[in-house]
Amino acid sequence: MTPALKISHLTKLYRRGTLAVDDLSLEVEPGDFFGFLGPNGAGKSTTINCITGIASPTSGTIEVFGVDTVKRYRDARRLIGMSPQEFNVDTFAKVYDIIDWMGGYFGMRAAERHARVDMLIEKFDLVAHGKKQFRDLSGGLKRRVILARSLVHDPQLLILDEPTAGVDVELRRDLWRYLQELNKEGKTIFLTSHYLEEIERLCQTIAIIYDGKIVRHGPKKEFVDEPGGLEAAYLRATGAEPDHAVVPAS
Amino acid sequence: MKDGSAVSDVGPVFNWIGLWTIVRREWSRLMRVPVQAFIAPWISALLFIFIFGFVVGGRIALIGGHHYLEFVLPGILMLNVVNAAFLQSSSQIYFSRFLRYVEESLVSPLSYAEMIAGVLSVVIVRSVITAIGILVIASLFGVTHIQSVWEFLYWVVSVSVVFGLLGIIIGLWANNFEQLTILNVFFITPLSFVGGVFNTVNMLPKWMQWVAYANPFFYFINGLRHAMIGFNEANEWLGVGVTLALAAVMAVTVWRLFSIGYGLRE
Repeated sequence: MTPALKISHLTKLYRRGTLAVDDLSLEVEPGDFFGFLGPNGAGKSTTINCITGIASPTSGTIEVFGVDTVKRYRDARRLIGMSPQEFNVDTFAKVYDIIDWMGGYFGMRAAERHARVDMLIEKFDLVAHGKKQFRDLSGGLKRRVILARSLVHDPQLLILDEPTAGVDVELRRDLWRYLQELNKEGKTIFLTSHYLEEIERLCQTIAIIYDGKIVRHGPKKEFVDEPGGLEAAYLRATGAEPDHAVVPAS
Repeated sequence: MKDGSAVSDVGPVFNWIGLWTIVRREWSRLMRVPVQAFIAPWISALLFIFIFGFVVGGRIALIGGHHYLEFVLPGILMLNVVNAAFLQSSSQIYFSRFLRYVEESLVSPLSYAEMIAGVLSVVIVRSVITAIGILVIASLFGVTHIQSVWEFLYWVVSVSVVFGLLGIIIGLWANNFEQLTILNVFFITPLSFVGGVFNTVNMLPKWMQWVAYANPFFYFINGLRHAMIGFNEANEWLGVGVTLALAAVMAVTVWRLFSIGYGLRE
């Protein structure tokens, strides 16, 4: 079976000399809910940027459902939906337009696009906010808009870079439920998060990146079954001392 | 697709809807600042026409058989077309980088050609609307005369493309608002003012006439002046050649910058 995502020997060296990703290889199976963990600066966002086209790989190849993201970038990008860590939107634009324009970039015809935008606006409970400017929304609402935007062209691979950062508990749970629904419908989800609870709850497979390299990769069960669970496994993989992580409550 | 099988080429050869979306989006941004985009150049043109053409021009003898107001109008118009084109593309690119929404186009199936064509389409629309507005204002003073509509359109559109492309280069290069305005302040405005907006080449001292002939703005203004009132101070085909050569150089530069992701991709 063709992997949903296949990264082979990816290296990203920035112009200023920082080696952000170092010969990284990784495969994600179709339909997987994949957790991509790592400390700040480990190379998570750079890897995602190389997959989506925001950054150009220095060397190596990336395929999405067998489609090379550089050689056949048009076809590859139609398969990917991206929700970035930071809000990359025209903050003065209206919510409806932000989602609609993204559909336009993907070549969706007006009728199909409007139906899809209406559906997403309703699904993410944004009906009352469609005509508001993005900058006037709360942090949680902004997250929903970004997620809706990433889904407008109905991608097969959804890449979420810390999608629940800064949102309240209720919205986080709503987003989790929705992501689980999407995954059940067959979407492959590639999720980065600093919330280990989130990864443990949602993901089936986990990879840990540290210093630009994959230091551990396997089914979630392998991580959570270890003494100390996922947190201890994560800390061990990233070179930290697990014992120092947990301070028992007195 | 859900079984993960490889896809075939599914997209259109040219993403027309994507290109149209760039135009729609930028038009929406422009309509948030209509005073800055259209009203300001029209008021500035009105003041130029009134002071230099009507008040001062009334005391100046005919130039090549034309009233001074008729002579000066093409220069004023070209000045505003150049500004509209440059400001449009430079701000469009710069703000999309500054607010990072350029990433929306980078992750979508838009080619470099579609992105550049989208930017230039809006540049031409803004320049043509600016030019039409100035013609309407000039008509209030009874001087709207266009000898050749096609020649007029050629000059407005080709000069818009040249400065639209130049604006893209500056928009990609600039890292702050100060850098965004440098070229306009030190290059575009001075050269356009000495490019024959208010005077003929013959009015200049002998040694300065060669400076005028070396100034590309002279050919833009001279070309538009010929299209409007038939007054010509240089070989018009030389002017056409200069414009096309500049457009080609700018286009190759912009294409190269997009290809290496300069200012766009990390």
